[in-house]
Amino acid sequence: MNTFLSRANTIFAFTLSVMAVLTFGCFASTFLNDNLAHVNIKTAKPIVKNMPDYSVSREKNDLGFITFDLRADLNPIFNWNVKQLFLYLTAEYVTGKNVINQVVLWDQIIKRGDNSILDYHGMNPKYYFWDDGNGLRANKNVTLTLSWNVIPNAGTLPKVMGSGSHSFAFPESYASNHF
Amino acid sequence: MNVLLDLLPSSVKNLPTFMDFEGQKRAERTFQVIIVLFAAVGFVWGYICQQFSQTIYILAAGFLLSCLLTLPPWPMYRLKPLQWQKARVEPTEAEVTAPPSGSKSNKKKK
Repeated sequence: MNTFLSRANTIFAFTLSVMAVLTFGCFASTFLNDNLAHVNIKTAKPIVKNMPDYSVSREKNDLGFITFDLRADLNPIFNWNVKQLFLYLTAEYVTGKNVINQVVLWDQIIKRGDNSILDYHGMNPKYYFWDDGNGLRANKNVTLTLSWNVIPNAGTLPKVMGSGSHSFAFPESYASNHF
Repeated sequence: MNVLLDLLPSSVKNLPTFMDFEGQKRAERTFQVIIVLFAAVGFVWGYICQQFSQTIYILAAGFLLSCLLTLPPWPMYRLKPLQWQKARVEPTEAEVTAPPSGSKSNKKKK
């Protein structure tokens, strides 16, 4: 504290320590939030085709096509410790081959300040709905859920599944491969 | 560096740059109080408007204010300077090696 530079060093170090305490306080004030929200999902036009995914092999696998509607109000999740949400729509189903199949069909980043009231109609998935075999045709129970990662300023990275899911069935027969 | 410092005009060189011990203590206490106060206010305000950036800006304001108040050696930190003893007049080298002849003769007489 006897020279200009030693005082500057002390003030700076003290400020950084206080800033760390504030950041921890910000984390602690939001630690108990459950980050839950209700989601309405609907699907339409489920079609299943049997075609080869040449990026993997020449074998033919089932490829599902759907469009979906999504309604959710995610505004209550945002607070001073949330920078953005990473949403992803997962299809989960059972086949003879695997007990659990999970395919991410669509995702979206919502930054704080963006419109956080989702209201989508007739959306196409972003990613292909490939099965690793022939498990989609006549599958009676494919369940869609919306989940999200909460990206904070400081603290943990919660992964939450929205309440509300939607189940649908794929048709009994393959659609023709002619578009 | 010292060559450059020697080039400064004497009015600049004579500026006091020190803080006394009491002043250093007061300066440290001052910036601690200011920064903690701004941090507390910033935390509450950031929580109210749900913007953590506001908290950081208010803390930065406290940092700047405390820098302004305690970095330069203001006169208020020089109120109790140390009272040094007056410099003693050291005897010159000639006097040390050759004490006055008068005292020598006195010893011999004893």
